[in-house]
Amino acid sequence: MRSIFYYVREFLRPEWLKKFFFAKTAPLVSPSYFKDYPSLTEKECTACLSCMMICPAPGAIAVLRKKDGWEPEVYPGHCIRCGLCVEACPEGVLASGRILDVARRDKTAFLSWYRLQVDDNLCMRCGNCCVSCPVNREVDPQLAGTGTSASDEVIMRIEGGRVTILHEEKCTGCKTCENNCPNRAIRVARMVEGVQGEEAEA
Amino acid sequence: MSILQDIKNAVRSRSIHVAYVDVGSCNGCDIEVLACLAPRYDIEQYGIYVHNNPREADILLVIGSVTPQWVDKLRDIWEKIPEPKVAVAIGNCPISGCVYARRGTLTTPPVENYIPIAAQVPGCPPRPTEILNAILSVAPLIYKDYEEKQR
Ligand code: SF4
Ligand code: SF4
Ligand code: SF4
Ligand code: SF4
Repeated sequence: MRSIFYYVREFLRPEWLKKFFFAKTAPLVSPSYFKDYPSLTEKECTACLSCMMICPAPGAIAVLRKKDGWEPEVYPGHCIRCGLCVEACPEGVLASGRILDVARRDKTAFLSWYRLQVDDNLCMRCGNCCVSCPVNREVDPQLAGTGTSASDEVIMRIEGGRVTILHEEKCTGCKTCENNCPNRAIRVARMVEGVQGEEAEA
Repeated sequence: MSILQDIKNAVRSRSIHVAYVDVGSCNGCDIEVLACLAPRYDIEQYGIYVHNNPREADILLVIGSVTPQWVDKLRDIWEKIPEPKVAVAIGNCPISGCVYARRGTLTTPPVENYIPIAAQVPGCPPRPTEILNAILSVAPLIYKDYEEKQR
């Protein structure tokens, strides 16, 4: 009898009743370390476009010309919050969660370059890619029409009726050649390597 | 009439019935919706119940970039939900197609082309708290004084 009394009394404690009827888990807020949409820091953007180049989601980030300089803009609804742009930016313009702190602590960085590939079955040797490439134009202003060039310093040229890629490392990844190819024969691929330690500091 | 409306408002604010439909997602957002049901976020403490039966639902959560096979079925589901009803797009997929919105894609986003969307929760995937907040903030807009607004 006594035990039942204690039992009931235990259940009638106000704080127990309150917890039972009004229990709530933690309030609906995101923790401070949550990797949210990248936000702007005070740093100045140099419009190097590394952020746009590394972004895996279509249409998620654009570097826009503002009144006083350039500024990256992230579009929710497209951005997948991967944080790669935050890590890739050499100026530290973007910030999100603890990404910058962790990258600084672990001394990590991204190296990137571009790879050009021409599908010989699709290519019809028009030379549009060689002519349209802005780097090519700068190296050899004579380059026109057929895409042949006397200069060995161009990224690519038509040689013996085929596109020959000479200096892949000069490519800036603008994809002008890809857009100007009528057959989608040339593809520009961005290669990214994550590095750590001394390599990253260089 | 207004007392009846008050009662309805009070009841509806604690009884939001949800159905979710996956119209071609990668399952990431489905998992986040599932996490809302689990004890960590515990969707039912906010008076939200998941039935997955469109005829009982007030809110339809649409997940995924729409595949062609889903286009007519999604409209069917939407028509089966009784008024008042809203659809909430969960994740980037129904908003923009997310990573699938590329040349040669087999999906046909956005979902707005097929059914009216009242709220969007961007993210790939969105956090469960973001999903909960969206449901909790869109529900009163639609259900509060619904009968009076109809007149
Ligand atoms: S977080 Fe990822 S998806 Fe979003 S803008 Fe940056 S790189 Fe693109
Ligand atoms: S935000 Fe950073 S990575 Fe992007 S263009 Fe500006 S400086 Fe380059
Ligand atoms: S991507 Fe731009 S720089 Fe690179 S080869 Fe094509 S046109 Fe030239
Ligand atoms: S938004 Fe991202 S996580 Fe959600 S279904 Fe689409 S791809 Fe998957």
